[in-house]
Amino acid sequence: MSDHSEELPIESGAEAPSAAHAPEAPEEPSAARPQDAVASAPEDALATTLSRRRFLEGVGAVAGMFAAGVVPALLSAAPSSAGAATGEPEAASASAEGIEKIIEEDQPINYPGKPVWYADPAGKQKWAMVIDTKACIGCRKCVYACVEENNIGRDSGFTYIQVLEMEQGEIDLETAVLDYGEGGKPDKWYLPVQCMHCAKPTCVYGCPVKATWKEPDGIVVIDYDKCIACRNCIVTCPYGARHFNWVEPDVPKAERNPKVPVEERAGVVDKCTWCIQRTRNGMTTACVQACPVGARKFGDLNDPDSEVSVLLKTRRVIRLKEEDGTEPMIWYVG
Amino acid sequence: MAVQELSARRPGVVRFIGIDFDLGALRSASPRYWAFVSLLLTVLAMGGMAYVSQLQHGGAVMAMRDNYPWGLWFVDYMYYVGLAAGGLVVYASVHLFGAKQFHPLARLAVLQAGLLVMMALLGIVTDMERPWRAIWMLLTPNPTSPFVYTGSAANIYMIVCFVDLWILITGKGGEKWAHRMTLIALPLAIYLHTTTAFVLSMNKSRELWNSAMMTPIFLTSATASGIALLLISAYIFKRLKILEFRPSMFRSLSTLLATVMIIDQFFLLVEVLTVFWPTSAKPGHVARFSLFFTGPYWFALIPVFVLGLGAFALLAPRRTRGLPAVQITASAMYVVAVYFKRYSLMAMGFAINPLGQYSPPYAPSLIEVLLALGILALGMLMMTLAAKVLPLKVPEHDEGEHAVDVDEELKALDAEASADVLAEVR
Repeated sequence: MSDHSEELPIESGAEAPSAAHAPEAPEEPSAARPQDAVASAPEDALATTLSRRRFLEGVGAVAGMFAAGVVPALLSAAPSSAGAATGEPEAASASAEGIEKIIEEDQPINYPGKPVWYADPAGKQKWAMVIDTKACIGCRKCVYACVEENNIGRDSGFTYIQVLEMEQGEIDLETAVLDYGEGGKPDKWYLPVQCMHCAKPTCVYGCPVKATWKEPDGIVVIDYDKCIACRNCIVTCPYGARHFNWVEPDVPKAERNPKVPVEERAGVVDKCTWCIQRTRNGMTTACVQACPVGARKFGDLNDPDSEVSVLLKTRRVIRLKEEDGTEPMIWYVG
Repeated sequence: MAVQELSARRPGVVRFIGIDFDLGALRSASPRYWAFVSLLLTVLAMGGMAYVSQLQHGGAVMAMRDNYPWGLWFVDYMYYVGLAAGGLVVYASVHLFGAKQFHPLARLAVLQAGLLVMMALLGIVTDMERPWRAIWMLLTPNPTSPFVYTGSAANIYMIVCFVDLWILITGKGGEKWAHRMTLIALPLAIYLHTTTAFVLSMNKSRELWNSAMMTPIFLTSATASGIALLLISAYIFKRLKILEFRPSMFRSLSTLLATVMIIDQFFLLVEVLTVFWPTSAKPGHVARFSLFFTGPYWFALIPVFVLGLGAFALLAPRRTRGLPAVQITASAMYVVAVYFKRYSLMAMGFAINPLGQYSPPYAPSLIEVLLALGILALGMLMMTLAAKVLPLKVPEHDEGEHAVDVDEELKALDAEASADVLAEVR
């Protein structure tokens, strides 16, 4: 289980971030950005100074490369997130460095360089989400909004977001209840789980045909026209976030969102896209908009003043199954 | 060559790519033979209809759902791939370790291996809703995906098996090439198994699979079940008077089988101990594994131990090992045991999903069963036709210069085997 409450070694102080990692002029044309990111990823990983921890991780990465026999393992050679409590005396600038590291590691993987056809090309953002489990009341408003926004088949038998009901005093997925009745109970607590858009996504590594990849802004997308339906990504995802359209999504014509494909999704794998059709156009995700208690925050880590950046710098957060090393981009704050 | 002489003499023999296809034998085949063939054709046709229905209606006709993203086809894939390797190990031991007693098995073993891998691949193809998209495996393979390795290995392995069969039958390249093909095929068989195990074990999301023990277990249970199946089909071919085998060959095969069986069971025991030992038990592992001992999945794992250890108990004593009935029973038990093992292996990963949600045991839908039976029927049909048409019998003179020595050696072994049987009878 994942609850070792590994916290970011972040001290308070939202003013700490320097201009070094702040986005310069967001209006700047961003066409060249993806290529830059692809090219610089392995170099970044190698150029970092070799502290003891990084050296050990390097050894691990070399072993990983040997096992997989491939170059893309280089991408996983980047040191793991700031989440690991090391006790090394680097707390002084931790908050700035912490988020910088997260952004640095969140690189495109298997990115074919072509834009998603129903959304704008990726901008300079690094998307992240923070969910306040203390505020969440388990009403599933986010689930319903998501189903409507993303044209999820009404009888497909899955939703992108799964809300787990747990007993007070424990964070144990084994005893969590997924299909609790309508509305939350005050004596339980709720953990919404969806695609984490991991920095090291096992689904992207596991797809045999590169039909799923990580975009430059961190969103993991699926090419519905390429997916061969082997379902290896469903098996390999530690968050149960991927689902298969066993039937063609059944969405009444009147309720369809014209910005999201429907027919193409029959017989392929499907999952949360962080509402790519909205977020790339300056809107927030449907789940964030629908949450009645404001438990969900979505934003850009490159922007030091965004809600997510401030929350990561000021609050104690955990990530689900941190020990799996997938470096999810959804944080939970309690 | 003797083969050419034959073709000159007998009518109905068609020579194609250097192989004499004895089509005349089909004409003179008994009504029982044709009854069996038409039964297989019926099952095959039903499988074909199931496939058409699946293509029309999509994956919903299968019993697989998000909790069980892989179902019967994957169990069959693991199983057939495993069965394929076992026979090849026997065949390879002829060349690598000089186990001459297995020489008459050579063509049968290689043919069986090739057909089984073909069946395994057909299982994958029929599961895909859009099979033509498989071309992306060649165009943009993702090197971090274990699927790429097992898929390519299975395809290459199938081709190597059929090429090997061709070399064995036509005698092109002689003993030297037959030997070289073994050196290619045996590592390839191990590679295929390793990569198939990787499809399961390379998932940190599925704790029960994520064990380095998975690969050795795959190798041993594949070898054991493969040898067992080869033993059974050798008996069938002997009974039908298509091939001739000595009792000593079955005895050697049984000895080898018993050895691999107990190693296989040992590996499984090690894995179980690791899951339940107080100092290594993790709640998630224990909860998942307990389902397979006392929970609703007991039917999947318990037979593995009962049948597996039972088969070993039958074959282990010297006195019973030589008896054909015991050999066949034990082999059949192990072939079934490994099927249960494959099912429980698949189900173990899926019984509780990564979010801790339990799902009741997976049972395939009618469409899935018909598909699987259709593929099985196709494999058996090709084997049945090959039994009549292909020259599967290894000519005596092929056994090389030392044929005479070997013959005497084998006779001595035969005497020993029959002495054991006699002792048992007394």
